[in-house]
Amino acid sequence: MEESLKQVKEEGIEKIANTKDLEELEVVRKDLIGKKSKLSEVMQNMRNLSNDERKNVGILTTEIKNVFAEKLDEKAKELIDQKSVLDRPIDLSLPGKKVSEGALHPITQMKYDLNDAFLSLGFEVYSEDDISSEKYAFDNLNFAKDHPARQSMDTYWLEGTEDKEGAERLCLRPHLTGGSVRYLLKHGAPARFVYPGAVFRNETTDARHERAFYQYEALIVDKNISFSSGMVMIQTILEKVFGRKINTRMREGFFPFTEPGYEIDMECLVCGGKGCKVCNHNGWIEVMPGGVIHPNVLRSANLDPEEWTGFYINIGLDRLVMMRYGVDDVRLFHSADLRFLKEYK
Amino acid sequence: MRVSLNLIKKYIDLPKNVDEKKIAYDLTLRTVEVENVENLGEKLHDIVVGKIVELKAHPNADKLRICKVDVGDKEIQIVCGGSNLYEDELVVVALPGAEVIWHGEGEPVKIKETKMRGEDSFGMICASSEVFLENFFPTSSETEIVDLKGIDCKPGDLISDIMDLNDTILEIDNKSLSNRPDLWGHYGIAREIATIFDIDLKPLEKYELDKNLPKYDVTIKDEDKCKRYFAAEIDGIEEKPSPMWMQSYLVKCGMRPINAIVDITNYVMITTGQPLHAFDKTHVLGEKIIVRNAKEGEKLLLLDDNTISLTSDDLVICNEKNPMCLAGIKGGKDDSILPDTTGILLEVANFDAGTIRKTDKRFVEKTDSANRYEKALDTQRVDDGINLALSLIKEIFPDSKIIKYNDVYPHETIRNEIEVSENWLTERLGKKIDSKVINRILTSLGYEVKLEKGTYKVLVPTYRSTGDVTMKDDVMGDIARILSFDSFEKSPITISFTSSIKQNDILLERRIKEYLAYRCGFYEIFTYPWIDEKYIDAAGIDKEKSITLATPPAPELKYLKSSLIPGMIEAISKNLRYYDSFKMFEYDEVYSKGKYSPSSEDEILPIQTKSLVASITGKDAKSIFYELKGVIEEMSRYTHMENIRLEQKEKPSWADINAYLNIIKGNEIIGSLGLLSTKVMSETKIKRTNVAIFELDASMLEPFASRTNKYKKLPELPLIEKDLSIIIDESVKWDDIYKAIKNLAYEVEFVDEYYGDKIPNGKKSLTLKVRFINEDVSMNAEQISEKMDEVLNTLNKKCGAELRQE
Repeated sequence: MEESLKQVKEEGIEKIANTKDLEELEVVRKDLIGKKSKLSEVMQNMRNLSNDERKNVGILTTEIKNVFAEKLDEKAKELIDQKSVLDRPIDLSLPGKKVSEGALHPITQMKYDLNDAFLSLGFEVYSEDDISSEKYAFDNLNFAKDHPARQSMDTYWLEGTEDKEGAERLCLRPHLTGGSVRYLLKHGAPARFVYPGAVFRNETTDARHERAFYQYEALIVDKNISFSSGMVMIQTILEKVFGRKINTRMREGFFPFTEPGYEIDMECLVCGGKGCKVCNHNGWIEVMPGGVIHPNVLRSANLDPEEWTGFYINIGLDRLVMMRYGVDDVRLFHSADLRFLKEYK
Repeated sequence: MRVSLNLIKKYIDLPKNVDEKKIAYDLTLRTVEVENVENLGEKLHDIVVGKIVELKAHPNADKLRICKVDVGDKEIQIVCGGSNLYEDELVVVALPGAEVIWHGEGEPVKIKETKMRGEDSFGMICASSEVFLENFFPTSSETEIVDLKGIDCKPGDLISDIMDLNDTILEIDNKSLSNRPDLWGHYGIAREIATIFDIDLKPLEKYELDKNLPKYDVTIKDEDKCKRYFAAEIDGIEEKPSPMWMQSYLVKCGMRPINAIVDITNYVMITTGQPLHAFDKTHVLGEKIIVRNAKEGEKLLLLDDNTISLTSDDLVICNEKNPMCLAGIKGGKDDSILPDTTGILLEVANFDAGTIRKTDKRFVEKTDSANRYEKALDTQRVDDGINLALSLIKEIFPDSKIIKYNDVYPHETIRNEIEVSENWLTERLGKKIDSKVINRILTSLGYEVKLEKGTYKVLVPTYRSTGDVTMKDDVMGDIARILSFDSFEKSPITISFTSSIKQNDILLERRIKEYLAYRCGFYEIFTYPWIDEKYIDAAGIDKEKSITLATPPAPELKYLKSSLIPGMIEAISKNLRYYDSFKMFEYDEVYSKGKYSPSSEDEILPIQTKSLVASITGKDAKSIFYELKGVIEEMSRYTHMENIRLEQKEKPSWADINAYLNIIKGNEIIGSLGLLSTKVMSETKIKRTNVAIFELDASMLEPFASRTNKYKKLPELPLIEKDLSIIIDESVKWDDIYKAIKNLAYEVEFVDEYYGDKIPNGKKSLTLKVRFINEDVSMNAEQISEKMDEVLNTLNKKCGAELRQE
């Protein structure tokens, strides 16, 4: 009896070990410890045995049953660990499913990046309409009466108004700066705001010149501030765009609506300032003009220049985006060409 | 403008530690943008004078010849195709190692020893454009090489030495000079460099005029336009070349030497910034100069052989009878210096900038003279011109003699007086600058400065008093730039927190763009404000209300967009070359006739509003229509704005006759959704695909002040969900089905619409999901089936629906 139980035990353990999957294991489980198993049979027949024998066999069968139960659980765990949810092979090299496409225009992305940065410095976002007048685009901004930009070779005048003057001569705005006076007339000073937007110039287009392009202008008007505060705004922009501190220099520049005016150059990122083709071999790239708001501009905004001062910076978004990504043709921005736009997800 | 450093050095002694790079950098930071620094001597290395000692035909080429050339230390053989070769000719030889511009085009090429058609060639005999000498030696044919006849030189001399080209040229961006009339001559640039490096500026040349000479007859008719006119009649002049040093300066500054008199006038102009003009004295009929406005229609034959018709705005210099020249701009054909010239009338004058600018508009290219007058010159500069010109004439024509002269001087440039307080300067500059420093800078720039009781009283130099420096801010600018803007500490921007910035309309625009791009999968596009007429016409949009440009980029681009639809159609038709299904949107301004005064009443602008257009291009018309419909339906929820809804009211011109809906807010139509009509597609070459498109007036959208989502108590018991497929007349609308049963269930949802073989003609199959909930106890199967029966019976009664048998 003991011999045959030993054999049952050995055979059972082997059977468990040889089981391949969970379904088979259930069959084995029934077979070994189920109601119709050999062990059950032995236990049912125990009443025919003597007390001593019954005790021995009882201990033995319980022990075997426990061993089986333990081995079965172990095996079950082992098999679960190995079991895949797939019943077929999977080709892991197949590409994943595409997510929904779509993207903002790279210039919009840049604009929002800058808006976020300026918002954190307490700037409002303002927008002026595309169509303005000579009064707001030129007169208010201290452009000389016969400044060449006022000619139709430079500015797009609206048909029927081109021979009029001032507020009656209408144009697609040639720059954003006219909007500054509109804002100041409406909201007064102190003020700090950015006003991004498209501007339009009558130009011959090529890879570097466009008739419609984007600018981002910021203006602070306050009392007792010095022109050097403008530098902080510039660094804000460049750090936001390029993700690190960029070397800049500020140099003399002239604009009718500033005094003094300056140009801001950034170190050429292509050559690191050593000089290359991109920067015309001088190590610097012109990125934005700026300057102290001209007293005549403050006057057109009904502000007293003795009391108020301020400064502008103006950045060409197209140029900045071109530098950010290495785009070599400015005309792509208005092309609506999806082959181009799909790169800026 | 090209600036010769050698010419600058005539007026300043540069400190030893200052090289050309430093000058270029410091000028760029403080005064004008130096775009390029070019060392001419270096560029012309290994380019020497050669003498052709022997000339032979080339055995294998008709057009080539074999030259034996003496280059000083040796004789070398050179194969050359020049058409003007002769024995004993002095030529320009590029030795091996030299760099030349091959045929005058492209990047420099290094000369090597080579064989040409089997014959050795140890260098190159150059044409002028190959060695930067085209201004010295203009050519008439491509094969003409430089002939150095008449130039004092011998074989082996470096070309850069004999032509006086060992010089550094600073190329200055003219735009950065536009507000500085004082910088349009070398002397002005020298003054800036002297100020920057704190060195002395030497005075310009002087000439003593004999005050007892008779007066030349000069009359100025319009003294506002001509503020000063100096004329001197000089005899003892002939047409001859100017000295090499002078020719060299002109060439280096981008000008072409002509003859000694013309060269002197040009040289004086590039030195002092004062334009001059010289007439052959015999052309000044009646020995009389009259400066007057032209008569309407009066004709003038210009030096370039063009005859122009004058207007009364033009100022002309006339002799007794006729106009001879367009004042300050261009000479006339008849007044030029010719081989038979023996005497001249020299003009040094001041003309009004506005007059010059007005007249000059008619020419495509500005002359050097007009360019300078346009910037507004001071009348005192005429003295600089007279002094230098007369000194040079005496030097180059030692036998010349001034016969008569006159200096008519109705208006003198007045020096501006400005007061600048120390406190104001300190505040605006952000730091206090020592008065000694301020004094030094301003004095060096030509100001006279007095500091009295904390206020600088400054007298602006005449050459900065014609509009450039008029107020204290200008003076501050001069101080700041000379110290360098970079030398000022960057003051931080302080923030005050009186309130946070809340701009809901700006935020809504961003939410809508991000919703379309990032949730709905659209690409944002930009188009121009003008639009090709043919797309407006194709879309059937009325052009009556459109705004037009006076000078459009092209005749067909005259109309500014009154709708974003035509631009979107153009973008779709272009992208169909590369893709067959795509989604795009644009959010931009549109314009139409009307009245709108955003800032002041005197300004009346057209109506300008923001518009939003979005399109889906794809084969399955219904599917893209419903997809785009979904985009609109969900938009107000996702972007947190007042609700918009869809209803069919009036067909937009571009839409399909059946598939369109209007977008409505409140009771107002603010836009439309539809499939692009067959007509529009065929007119714009959109083939084998369909387009769903919507446009709405974005300025009508109203952002919520804050989110308005609501909390809904979660149901305690599970929802029971049942699918139901019915067969129904194809004319029955979902709206009717939904209305019929929406009160019988917790939720009713559309799943699918189906036409097919198993569905009878005129019918369609609809699948919907119905969800029930029972708030007290779980529903059992019987109750559910009762509910479903109720739904089906209602649908049958109200809409004629039958259960679809599988």
